[in-house]
Amino acid sequence: MPSGVTRLQREAWAILLILLLAGAAVFAHVTTTPEEYSRYNTGWNGTSGFAGEEVRDLKPGVTLLILAPDQPFTPEEVGYCRAFLDNGGDIIIADEEGAANPLLADLGSRIRVRPGNLSSLERDHTDPGLFRVQVTGNASLFAGIETIRVNRPAAVEGGEPLLETSVLTWDDADGDGRITASETFGTAVVCAKEGNLTVLGDPSLFINAMLAENPEFIDNLQPVRIDGVHSRTGTANPIINTRLWIQETPLAAAALAALAVLPVAYRFGRKRDE
Amino acid sequence: MNRRASHIILAAAAVLVLVLLAGEAASPVLYSAENTSTAAHADPATVQKRSPGNAAAVVPLMDDLLGQTGTLALTIKLKDYESAERDLARYTDLSRQFDRLVVTLDVSGTDIGEFQQNNRQNQEALATLLNDTRRFDDLQRLEVEVRGDDDRHMAVVYEGEALRQKMREGFSAYAKRETETVQIAEHYDVNATPYRESVEDYAEVADAADDWREEIGGGSAPRSPLGIAVTPDEGRYGDLLLIGGTYAGGTPGAPVEVYVDSRIAETVTLDESGGYAYPYSVDRVLAGSHLAYATAGQVYSTVATFEILPGNTAITLALAEVNGTTVACTGNLTTEDDRPVTLAPVLLRVDDGTLIGTETDNNGTYRKEIVLPAGEHTLKAEFHGAGYPLNASESPAETVTVRGEGLSPLPFIAAGAAALGAGWYLRRRRPEESPLTEPHGMVDVVEEVVETPPRVEIAGLPPRDAATVLFRTLRARLGLAETKTPRDCARIAPAHAGFFERYERIRYAGETPSEEELRAMEKVALGGDETAA
Repeated sequence: MPSGVTRLQREAWAILLILLLAGAAVFAHVTTTPEEYSRYNTGWNGTSGFAGEEVRDLKPGVTLLILAPDQPFTPEEVGYCRAFLDNGGDIIIADEEGAANPLLADLGSRIRVRPGNLSSLERDHTDPGLFRVQVTGNASLFAGIETIRVNRPAAVEGGEPLLETSVLTWDDADGDGRITASETFGTAVVCAKEGNLTVLGDPSLFINAMLAENPEFIDNLQPVRIDGVHSRTGTANPIINTRLWIQETPLAAAALAALAVLPVAYRFGRKRDE
Repeated sequence: MNRRASHIILAAAAVLVLVLLAGEAASPVLYSAENTSTAAHADPATVQKRSPGNAAAVVPLMDDLLGQTGTLALTIKLKDYESAERDLARYTDLSRQFDRLVVTLDVSGTDIGEFQQNNRQNQEALATLLNDTRRFDDLQRLEVEVRGDDDRHMAVVYEGEALRQKMREGFSAYAKRETETVQIAEHYDVNATPYRESVEDYAEVADAADDWREEIGGGSAPRSPLGIAVTPDEGRYGDLLLIGGTYAGGTPGAPVEVYVDSRIAETVTLDESGGYAYPYSVDRVLAGSHLAYATAGQVYSTVATFEILPGNTAITLALAEVNGTTVACTGNLTTEDDRPVTLAPVLLRVDDGTLIGTETDNNGTYRKEIVLPAGEHTLKAEFHGAGYPLNASESPAETVTVRGEGLSPLPFIAAGAAALGAGWYLRRRRPEESPLTEPHGMVDVVEEVVETPPRVEIAGLPPRDAATVLFRTLRARLGLAETKTPRDCARIAPAHAGFFERYERIRYAGETPSEEELRAMEKVALGGDETAA
């Protein structure tokens, strides 16, 4: 019966539409990740919005950002970094967990990241770890900027201070959000430099939710390349890796396109035969 | 592709999508707005903003306070008492601002709190120094005038000696705080030079008093006949210290004024043996060294010192709901040896922000009812020890859920009124419009709505006129508009089509109904015989 066929076709189209929408949602899910700092994390704590090309090989003459490193550097890689610095390249290490300290030691730097829970009384948010720090040093990175909003930063020791907290800052060791008798106020440095090497104690400055807080700083950084091997920006999942492999492999992309076209071609071919 | 194959593919795709979605359901990617904080950072867009407050004013205020000590001590030393009064007023005002800031920022447990306590003592010491210096000036003039009058001269000498001792003791206490205060100041990069200079100026003023005593032969001056001692010479909050002595040559019943820290504490009388005693209760007085002396007429005693030791406190907080919006906060403030702290200020900190003040009663108990918005709130009771020889304390945080006010009846009344109005409006409109769109359904509804059939009187009317009356009656009973013709009515209400068609023939074809027909039509019109229609 024609009316029955029409109804069936309508149902099929409706289901197809729903499947397409669900498929889009699934695609969004499987091609993103909730991992902190990941470039494939489109959420507030990802770095998908931060404009910086990910590099896996070092080339001189650029600014290299090592963002929240979680992979150790081999002696060979340390040698590359040292040579890169010696050839005039700039390296910015953004770390708050102290994972960069072995690299800093291997590079011969005196700067160290001291993990902690810096909190400030001088803040305009209820979260004591969300506050502004003063630009105190002279660096192109902070040119034209007076203050930077940081997000639960760590203190940095050694080197020439570039960013300093106010004196009403403390390391909230017990995490209760208020200063107690066992804690003391004091200024802390959250960014310092030594030659071409800059160490920033707050990688959170590059997450999506923070980009709008310090736009001039983000602009000053450009052009920047991100170390995709040791930084947590490279954190992905197997599906993302597969997608990247397809994107980077023309033959695989062509095969996938062919797979998509084949059913359509088959359908049209059958219709012509009928 | 046949239909069966299509269905299988769609079903498989649906299952695949569902499986993939189920696997990701716990992932926060799609719901990240709820997950706004991790150990490394918080999402500033979802963190509540707050007023920056006066935190930035803390260090400048510390600077001002130390600066003020320098100015005030200098003007006292220069005996510019008018300026000194102004400086003291300014210093007092700044100290009050600083006290408020320390409480608001909740930093009384830090070195800023220590600075605050030292500053309070400094302010009191300089105020006392100003009064003593001024009096000392008077005594110096007086001493010249009364030379030759031994009695009056001795009285001046006794008072001068008392003042000198007070200044000396005051200086010792003032200088003792210097190291700690300067250390704190330097930690905050505050200029401590004026404060250091104030210590030097204080010393010069105290030295001047020593010099005067030497000038008037004070070293060999006889001891005052009015003795004084404080026993025990130290105590804590709530303790009773006995300030007393004897007045050699005093008349029993003569008044003796007892001063504590230059303020008159009590007037007592000499007993039969020439002794006097005043039980001094340690209450709202700062911890540290204090001075006591007595006067009997123009005779001054020497100066006795005693120490007030700081003690710890404990404060409790209990919350009870009073009504939907009000919470009663009650608790006790006691010392470590369980003495109630009376008439002491207590602060209730709501959600780490708003501060509400109350006070303990004579039993150390406080009660305060506060109005809170609906939702969960965390409260703490705090005692900041202001002016007491007691350390600050705070209660454990207590949580209360406020239900909020009941729903206002106004929206419901308004909604009811609107519904009634809408119903009335629709009811008015229905007979006019509905038959045109839904004739059958409408007729049924109309028939249900009309409950009482209209009364009709056709006796004595000509048959055709009687038929017209019956037609109008039925039309009205069915709720049909008066503009409807018999044919319209037959179409709209097919259940009565026979009636309307018969009337149409009577009305337009000139037929005359019989008596029997009229009775049947009357029954239909009045709703008595539906089948007859």
